[in-house]
Amino acid sequence: MVQYLIILLDDASTSYCHYSNRETKRLMPLDTLKQGILYAMKENLMIQFVYPDYELPQEYKDVIDSIDHSDIVSSSCEDAVIKENADVVVFNGWTDIDSCNLSDETAYVIRTNKADLFGKRQLLKSLISKTARLNVVITDVETFTEEDFGTYKEALAMLSEEVEKLYMEGKYPQMNILTDRMMLDKMNNCNAGWENITLAPDGCFYVCPAFYLAGDEEDFGLGKAKYSIGDLENGPDIKNPQLYRLDHAPICRHCDAYQCKRCVWLNRKTTYEVNTPSHEQCVVAHLERNASRNLLNRIRRHGTFLPEREEIKEIDYLDPFDVKEEW
Amino acid sequence: MGKKKNAKERSAYNDDMRKCITFIVTKDCQLACKYCYLVGKNSKERMSWDVAKRTIDYILSDTENFSDECVQFDFIGGEPFLEIDLIDKICDYLKIEMYRRNHKWFNDYVFMVTTNGLNYHSEKVQRFISKNITHLQICITIDGTERKHDINRIYKESGRGSYRDVVKNIPLWLSQFEGIHTKVTISHDDIPYIKESVAHLFNLGIQNVLINCVFEDVWEEGDDKLLEEQLIQLADYIIDNRYYIDHTCSFFDENIGHPLADDGNWCGAGMMLSVDAAGNFYPCTRFAAYSLRSRKPIIIGNVYSGTGINKNLLRPYLTLKRSLQSSEECMKCEVASGCAWCQGENYDAADTPTIYQRSTTICKMHKARVRANNYYWNKLFRKLELEGRREEFEKSKPTVNNTIC
Repeated sequence: MVQYLIILLDDASTSYCHYSNRETKRLMPLDTLKQGILYAMKENLMIQFVYPDYELPQEYKDVIDSIDHSDIVSSSCEDAVIKENADVVVFNGWTDIDSCNLSDETAYVIRTNKADLFGKRQLLKSLISKTARLNVVITDVETFTEEDFGTYKEALAMLSEEVEKLYMEGKYPQMNILTDRMMLDKMNNCNAGWENITLAPDGCFYVCPAFYLAGDEEDFGLGKAKYSIGDLENGPDIKNPQLYRLDHAPICRHCDAYQCKRCVWLNRKTTYEVNTPSHEQCVVAHLERNASRNLLNRIRRHGTFLPEREEIKEIDYLDPFDVKEEW
Repeated sequence: MGKKKNAKERSAYNDDMRKCITFIVTKDCQLACKYCYLVGKNSKERMSWDVAKRTIDYILSDTENFSDECVQFDFIGGEPFLEIDLIDKICDYLKIEMYRRNHKWFNDYVFMVTTNGLNYHSEKVQRFISKNITHLQICITIDGTERKHDINRIYKESGRGSYRDVVKNIPLWLSQFEGIHTKVTISHDDIPYIKESVAHLFNLGIQNVLINCVFEDVWEEGDDKLLEEQLIQLADYIIDNRYYIDHTCSFFDENIGHPLADDGNWCGAGMMLSVDAAGNFYPCTRFAAYSLRSRKPIIIGNVYSGTGINKNLLRPYLTLKRSLQSSEECMKCEVASGCAWCQGENYDAADTPTIYQRSTTICKMHKARVRANNYYWNKLFRKLELEGRREEFEKSKPTVNNTIC
């Protein structure tokens, strides 16, 4: 059941996930914004606004303030007030991080490619203690090789040491790729198309911003990747909605890498099916899962920790597809 | 040339373990069958030797993706025998390379050609058969009586029916192979001729008739009743003439018409591989462009790419379950077993580009088949019991081959 409406205020609104945004501005018409908010109010949806870097006109701010909401803002946003009060601040790459005054009350997203992630892991380590929550989004996860998997495993182990140290100091930093799995006993995925949908500047609904921002010619083999699931006048109408649910995901429904984004966009791009992840997405999620397992076990050696949570089981695979005969 | 022990009789052959690799050698055909799902047939896309050779070299060297114990090399079209020289060259090269590489398939391979039969008698085809008879299966498609066959199976140029040109090759075919079968396709127009057609094929000497209704959305009001009537007449004919002893018609199968017992997928798409003239790989021929009405082809690799098969693109196929693509009504259906689907048709007819939405246009035809099937087995078993031959029949009854594509 849809619970969240993501409103992409502009084509150039920051990306906070695997997809890339556009450089060309296209601000959502004010009337569309009003209709979108009205729709969310009538459908009882929580709104998340995604901002562009430039400052919005005052009338937009006034309309946005008329409804309870969350703000997702880029670290390079020119509107200091919005940025200061944002629920989520996104770093697109690593250039702004040194100059940004990090708040330990704000959640941050770092969008990074694998090369930078591996090369800047020491910097990442130093950020863990400075934020309330740090989400790492790897923007080229589909390109991981066997060698990359090994490097990522090493990076996670190194970051784990820092998290363990902070826990011992009585701090409880959150880092999606390490601590989320420790706290979960069921899947906690993105759930685009199932629990959240996106309203784009063109007044149409999309499964997520990625499906809107896909290039007009982009097809990943199957025809237009860019397609809407309805408009404000008629409401969303998702064809084959069951394919966005966990119980219709052939691999994920058997999986316990609960922290995985289970990104339907990456699924569509890499396997052509929104309900089926690639080998790379699965292995990366399992490396994180296993790192969480090790971290949890190490923290527990120091005393009681999350006693209500079961132990994360040891498994001998990194891709659930490899054990499909056991399902 | 007399009958020799052919591929079908080779005891080492295990259907469950075989890898099916299909060469789409041409997209051309002399015929323009009205029910043909190949909507994009043409005379331009003929496989070159370079594509064929590169495909063979790739398949035989990629032992990770092709680890199956045995193999079936299918040749289809269009009409494959239009490219008999290429097929012959492919088969020769396969044999040489499997031997040279000491490949495990060398003693466990079968060549399978599905043909319209028009060129069957030609010198080149006969020479090919003679060379490969011990590892060869050929299926000539003949749809039944002349009037049924010629409703659909017509020449593309003249529109004339092809029955007479095919039926003259049936005796030669029968003299060369044992345990042969033909495939009969049922569409809306030819339902009234099912009984007479299967009877005709039996009388021609073809003991096994694989028959199925097309998966496309062609059915009209009343077609299910007509199908049921035809199948009941056919049931009476088979039983009254004792054809049940050593003939099979796949419409009648003890295993169909029951509630579901498992969640397996019906179709083998993804476990097989098709390659076309461009060197594109597909999870099944039905995902090639010439098979699709409204969707883009699903290409999982190309022989010239150097990267082989994109295994990520096969994951949806290899994890597909019945429950993931079927409606609740289908899952709870009390006569669900044996209700078939074609993954390619599902993809072609789906609301979104997915293989996870099952087309159910065949529903009422399946239910009609189940009713007639129940009639058949109830009548047959009662007759056998009254004759005291039930036990004898159970021990020796012929096995129905339910291959549908």
